[in-house]
Amino acid sequence: MLGAMSSHPAPVFDPELVARYDVNGPRYTSYPTAPEFDARFGEAEYRAAARASNEDPIPRRLSIYVHVPFCFSPCFYCGCARIITRDRGKAEGYLARLHREIELTAPLFDRDRQVVQLHFGGGTPNFLDWRQMAELVESMSRQFTFASDDEREFGIELDPREADANYVAMLARHGFNRLSVGVQDFDPEVQVAVNRVQSVAQTRAVIDAAREHGFRSTSIDLIYGLPRQTPSRFAKTLEEVIAIRPDRIATYGYAHLPERFKAQRQIDAAELPNAAERLALLGLTIRTLTDAGYRYIGMDHFALPSDELARAQEHGTLQRNFQGYSTHGACDMIGLGMTSIGRIGDAYVQNAKDLVGYYAALDAGRLPVARGLVLDTDDRIRGDAIQRIMCDGVIEIGAFEARHQIDFAVYFARELAQLRVLAGDGLIALSPTRIAATARGRLLLRIVAMCFDAYLSRPRELAPGYSKAL
Amino acid sequence: MLDRPYRAKVLTAADASLRVAVANGVPVLRMPDDGDELRFCSTCAFGSVCMPQGVDKAALGELHCLVEHVGPYRAGERIFHAGDRFGAIYAVRGGTVKTSTTDDEGREQVLGFHLPGEMIGLNAIHPAKYPCDAIALDTAYVCRFSFPALATLAMRFPGVQQQLFRLLSADIGKAALLAGDHSADERLAAFLIGLADRYASRGFSRTALRLSMARADIANYLRLAAETVSRVLRRFQDQGLIAVDGRDVTLTDATALRHLARNIVHG
Repeated sequence: MLGAMSSHPAPVFDPELVARYDVNGPRYTSYPTAPEFDARFGEAEYRAAARASNEDPIPRRLSIYVHVPFCFSPCFYCGCARIITRDRGKAEGYLARLHREIELTAPLFDRDRQVVQLHFGGGTPNFLDWRQMAELVESMSRQFTFASDDEREFGIELDPREADANYVAMLARHGFNRLSVGVQDFDPEVQVAVNRVQSVAQTRAVIDAAREHGFRSTSIDLIYGLPRQTPSRFAKTLEEVIAIRPDRIATYGYAHLPERFKAQRQIDAAELPNAAERLALLGLTIRTLTDAGYRYIGMDHFALPSDELARAQEHGTLQRNFQGYSTHGACDMIGLGMTSIGRIGDAYVQNAKDLVGYYAALDAGRLPVARGLVLDTDDRIRGDAIQRIMCDGVIEIGAFEARHQIDFAVYFARELAQLRVLAGDGLIALSPTRIAATARGRLLLRIVAMCFDAYLSRPRELAPGYSKAL
Repeated sequence: MLDRPYRAKVLTAADASLRVAVANGVPVLRMPDDGDELRFCSTCAFGSVCMPQGVDKAALGELHCLVEHVGPYRAGERIFHAGDRFGAIYAVRGGTVKTSTTDDEGREQVLGFHLPGEMIGLNAIHPAKYPCDAIALDTAYVCRFSFPALATLAMRFPGVQQQLFRLLSADIGKAALLAGDHSADERLAAFLIGLADRYASRGFSRTALRLSMARADIANYLRLAAETVSRVLRRFQDQGLIAVDGRDVTLTDATALRHLARNIVHG
């Protein structure tokens, strides 16, 4: 507890250090990371994991993620699994399968296990019109047991260009209390270059509506490193975002991988900021947001000190999962929809990554499980080390040894050699009792976490595929 | 000192680092030792035959000849089936074994959970058929005592006979545990205290339990609904009586639990 308290110094932006460690690496929304999931893990394994999860003396509560893969138009920077169409009718076929998946999934979990977290992501969840969305949530509330209003955290990502105050009011009526809005950049020239033209007024409208209807938390996503961005223009975006004052702000670094993400081929590489400009944008972002009273949580995330994320970090209860940082770590996570990932006990499970596979399984009455993995003891130990680094910036070695009944220095002899190099570079402070990220190292948490990743040294992982660490 | 009763799952033979950890004095796994020609496994119910004055050394030697180490059984495997002809009683060496019956409509009735050192099959002596299934709840090892041979031995050695009577008597006493009209809180407190005492009597931790049984089994055994088991345990946790982490339960206020259980726990 004491360690966690003292381990969140304001991050210090050291451009030279950040540039030196700008390498490809996982984001550790899971460990092992999704590329390690195995196609031999199928429906039977998922059912077994669900069955076992009901058998704990106090079964974990539930967190549900629903993926809505459709978007009205392509944002050129996007690397998500999504389908571009203006035809809302397309959603009907998908929804029919989603309802089927809910019918097959809900009975696997005992009814006294409350759903405390629900998150809609995409794609664009508000591709579903208010009637479709209402039906979906009502269907889930009939088949799962939703926690009471004050205990639940129900969130949704909204595209403000396609949502209005009425839509937000409908969400509030159906129990939603968290809103996340994509902005990326308010600069008109950048917006044209990435094919996402969205005014400050549109953004404000949905956030104001959310506040009016009792949403407890609002969040805005930004991206730095987009074409035509400059520090002076991005400073203006930051100023406008701070004026809206969302509880959380995420600032993702744009990773240009046009060979992997087709939409990104629309971006003119010549217009992208160079490495030095990217660093300047990042430095500006960190300085501006922390000066405005936001607390740096880790990776790409900032939160106001009053927000639950900041409070959870203070109390050492912050968790990292597929939705980034979360305060609900002790849940089993159910993923619904194409590509969705779940975690049930010690099992990770991922649905079919395309509509064809997703539809075919459900049409045949099967769960659309495509891949997964059951953690072994080593995965659990390393996963815990990575969680602690990503969330607390600290590993208290004594407590860690007691939790896993290992001798840290022996178990992690090889990793400690790597960590000593990072300590030499000033990313961490290393002592026999704790490993703690320094103020400069807080911006490079995943470099520290990577030391504990046993899969990185395997040949397959040398292939490119992960985005840069920043 | 070790704070887990039995954690076979933690150790995999292939994991060299973990073995190093053991060699460095960090206990990862606790298994009863196997005994030898002069000693029984440290947890064995028959171990006390040779105690306290070592009167029955000869009996011990002969007993060893009729003991057969059996297993491992994996979770869900049966050590014997209801209706099987009775030929032996068993002592659990490692893991946990559930005994249960199933009625004509397929409804299961859990009779008990058996920990290392405890006997199963004593209720089969008459009418020479096992009246229940014995099912491993995790990786389980047992000792098989051929009953005809044991009975013959008991006639020759009073120590063996006395121990057998003691075990039978204890087994009959156990059945009375749940007969009364007790609340869910009392039943669960008694269940946890009972397990803790049984583990402690075998030299394991008195406060840190690993529950190998599913909550449905606990509920069935205590005649409660599964959601009641969880609701009461969550309340115990909120009150600071226990701390629950998956299957691991730590008794953080055993005195309060014992007080709750005072009308049930006996012996």
